[in-house]
Amino acid sequence: MKTESFAPRKWLALSRLTNSAFLLPLLALVTALILGAIIIWVTSGSIGTVFDAFGGLIRGALFKERGLSESLIATVPYVFLSLAVAVGFKAGLFNIGVEGQFYMGAISAVFVGQLATGLPAIIHLPLTLLAGAAGGALWAAIPGYLKVRTGAHEVITTIMLNYVAFRFTELIISGPLRDIHSTAVQTTRVASSAEVWLLYEVPARLQDPLNAFAVALIAGFIAFLVSRTIRRRRERIAAAAPMVLSVGRGKPTRAPGILSRHSSLVTAIVAGVATGVLLPILTRLWWPFTDQYDRLHIGVLFAIAAAVAVWWLIGKTTIGFELRTVGANPNAAIYAGMSITKNVVLAMAISGALAGIAGTIEVLGVSICRCLPLFFSSGYGFDSIAISLLANNSPFGILGVAFLFGAMRNGADLMELSSGVSKYIISLMQALILLFVSAPPIIRWLYRIRTEQKGQRLGLPGSWGGKA
Amino acid sequence: MNQQTTSPARAIGQGLRLKGRWWVTALVGLMLIVVLWLLLNLIIGGQCDGPCVVGALAQTLRVATPIAFAALCGVMCERSGVVDIGIEGKMLMAAMVGYAVNLFAYQALKDSMGVVAAGNLSRWLAMFAGVLAAMVLAALHAVVSIEFKTNQIITGTVINILAVGLTGFLYRQFLAEHLPAGPGTFPIINIPILSNIPIIGPILFQQKPLTYIMLITVVVIQYVLFHTPWGLRTRAVGEHPRAADTVGVNVYKIRYINVIAGGLIAGLAGVWFTLEAVDVFNPMMTNGLGFIGLAAMIFGKWNPFGALLGALIFGLGNGVTSTISIFRPDIPSQLPQMLPYLLTVVILTGVVGRATAPAADGTPYEK
Repeated sequence: MKTESFAPRKWLALSRLTNSAFLLPLLALVTALILGAIIIWVTSGSIGTVFDAFGGLIRGALFKERGLSESLIATVPYVFLSLAVAVGFKAGLFNIGVEGQFYMGAISAVFVGQLATGLPAIIHLPLTLLAGAAGGALWAAIPGYLKVRTGAHEVITTIMLNYVAFRFTELIISGPLRDIHSTAVQTTRVASSAEVWLLYEVPARLQDPLNAFAVALIAGFIAFLVSRTIRRRRERIAAAAPMVLSVGRGKPTRAPGILSRHSSLVTAIVAGVATGVLLPILTRLWWPFTDQYDRLHIGVLFAIAAAVAVWWLIGKTTIGFELRTVGANPNAAIYAGMSITKNVVLAMAISGALAGIAGTIEVLGVSICRCLPLFFSSGYGFDSIAISLLANNSPFGILGVAFLFGAMRNGADLMELSSGVSKYIISLMQALILLFVSAPPIIRWLYRIRTEQKGQRLGLPGSWGGKA
Repeated sequence: MNQQTTSPARAIGQGLRLKGRWWVTALVGLMLIVVLWLLLNLIIGGQCDGPCVVGALAQTLRVATPIAFAALCGVMCERSGVVDIGIEGKMLMAAMVGYAVNLFAYQALKDSMGVVAAGNLSRWLAMFAGVLAAMVLAALHAVVSIEFKTNQIITGTVINILAVGLTGFLYRQFLAEHLPAGPGTFPIINIPILSNIPIIGPILFQQKPLTYIMLITVVVIQYVLFHTPWGLRTRAVGEHPRAADTVGVNVYKIRYINVIAGGLIAGLAGVWFTLEAVDVFNPMMTNGLGFIGLAAMIFGKWNPFGALLGALIFGLGNGVTSTISIFRPDIPSQLPQMLPYLLTVVILTGVVGRATAPAADGTPYEK
C-alpha cells in the first residue's frame, strides 16, 4: 500500500510518541534524577556538589578502569531478578520475595557446587545452575500454592519467606556447609568445574575439548533456532501469497531435497562444528578480554539469553498465553478451562527459578571466594521491582533499564568518594522513579500530558484476593 | 459482609474462633500459656520458674506493642477500603526521624533546661516528630491511591522502598558517625498502686509509655469504629463506597482521614523502635514487623481487639524464643528467629480460621 499522506502519518507518530510506553518512564526517570539533584543540593548546601556527584556517578559507572565491566556485573542479577518480577506481574502476581529466592538459589547452588568434584564443567555447571533454579523455584512455589489454595496474599507471604530464607541461609552457612579452614564465616568453595567462567578465562577454558564441545552445542542450538525461525517466516509468507511467488519467479516449484528439508538442522550442525573447532583456535590467537582483574563473566550472555527465553515463553508459547490470561482475567481463564492452581504455581516457580539463577551466578561468578559468605547482602530485590515496572515488564526493556540501574549502583561508590554524598541517594532516586512509574498521573500532572491511555494498568488484584 | 462486633469479649472470642462466653476464652488462653510454659521447660530443662514466666509475659506485651500498632494502622486503613502494605515504610521513617529528633533536640535543650528535663522533653518531641513523618508518608500514600487510583499494593511497596531509600540516605549522611550522646529511651513508668499487684503488676503496669498508649489506642479505635457515626461511615465506605456515597458520605474524605490517622498509629509503631526498644537506629531495623502487624490484623478479622490478640500471640512467640535462646545457647539462634515469620505465613493461610476483608478493600473509588 502506498502512503496516502505522509505528513499526517508522521504527526500521528509524534502524538503516539507522547502516549507511548516510552515517554512516561523516561519522564519519570528524568524527574527522579532532578529531584535527586535537588536533594543533594539541599543537603550539601552547594550546587557544585551536585555536579561532583553526578560526574562521579557517570565516571564510576562507565569510564573508570573496569567501570563498564563492573556495571555489567551488577546488571546481570538485576536482569534475572527483574525478569522474575515481570513474569510474576504477567500472571497477576506480585512476587516481592525475589530476594529470598535469590538466597535459596545461591545456597542450593553452593551445595551442588561443592558437593561433586571431578565432574566436567559441561555437566557440573549446568547442574549447579539447575540446582540454583530449582532452589528458587521451590521456594517461590510455596507462596504460589498457598495463594491459590488458602488465599494467603503473596505480597506478605513472599516477604515473610524472605526473612525465613535469610535466617535459613545463615544457619546453613554457619552450620553444615561452613568452611572450617577459613577464619571468615563462609561456605566451602565450589569446585572449579562449577564456576561461571570469567571472560578472560574463556580461551584457557576452551582448550578443554569438552568445554569446546559444550560451546559448540550451544552455538548449534542457537543457529538451529534462528534458522528455523527464518524458515518458518519464509514459509508463512509463501503460504500467504503462493501465486505471487511462483508467478513472479516464473519457475515451477520443485519438491525440496533432503538438504533443504532439514536445512535448520544442517545449519545447526555446520555452525556447531565450526564453533567447536574454530573458536578455541581463534580465541587463542585473539581475545579482547585480557585483563585478569576484570571480573566480567559469561553470566552477561546468560542474562541476554534469559531475556530472550522469557520473551519467547511469555509471548510465543501456550504456557505464556495461559499465564497472561490468568493474570489478566482469572474468570475468563477458568471459563476457558485453564487451571488457576497450575498456572499460578508455575508462574511463581518460573519467577523463582530466574531469581535462583541470579543467586547462583553471583556465587559462581562474582563472589570472590566462589562461596557464600555470611553477609552476602545483595539488596537487588527491591530495585528489581522498580526496573520491571520502569521497563513495563518487557524483557528487552528490562535489559536496558537493568543496565541503567546496574551502572548507577556501580557508579555510586565513586560518587560517594568524589562528592561526599551518601550512595544511598541512588536507592532514594530509584524509589522516586518507582513512585512516578507506578503513579503515572503524577507525571501527567507535572508535565501537563493530557491524554490518558486506558487499559494500560497492571492486571494485579488490588486486595487480599481470597480464593481464586 | 463483616460481622459487626460490639463487645471486646466477643472480639477476642472471635479472634480465637470461640463461640462461648468470654471467660471460656480467657480460660483457654490461660491453659495455652500453661501448656506453652510446660513445653518451654521441657526444652530448657525446667529452668523457667515464676519470675522467668512473668519476665517472658512482660516481654510479650513489650514486643506486641509495635505489632499491635501496625495492625491498628492496618485496621484503620482497610476498614475504609485502602490496603496498606506500606506500614513497614512508615514505621521505618518514624523510627529514624524519632531517633534524630531525640538526639538533636536534647543537644539543643540540655544546656538551658537541665539534663533530665531536656531528656523528657526531647523524647516527647521526638515522638511527635516521628509520628508526623509517618503521617506525611501516609498522606502520600493517600493521595496516590485515593486521588490517582493506582494499585494500592504497588503504592504501598513504593512507600516501603521510598522509606528505605530516604532513611538510608539520611542515616548515612547525618547519623552514621560523630554522634553526640543522646538522652536514651523512655524510662519505665510504674503505674502507682497497680504496679504493686504481684503477678499482674510487673506484666501490665511496669511498662514504657508507648505500651500504655497502645492499650488505650486499641480501646479507642474499637469504640470509634463500632460506636460512633464516624466508625459507621468508615465501615460503610470500606464495604460499599457507592452506597455510602449515595446517602451523602464523602468517600474520599473518610478515606483520606483514615489513611492519615493510620499513618499516625504506624508512626507510634515506628518510634517504639528508637524511643522505647533501643537507643540506636539502623537501616532496615523494623525487620518486617509491619508485615507481621498486617498478619495480626487479618488474624483479628480487622477488629482492634482481635488485632491486639494477634499481636500478643506474636509477642508471646518472641518471649518464648528469647527465653529459649537465653537458657539454651547451643540451639542456633536462627531457628527461633524464623518462627514469627513462619507463624505469619501460617496465620495468613487461614489454618486458624478464615477471615473476610472489607468488601471494597483495595479498590479505588471512582465517582
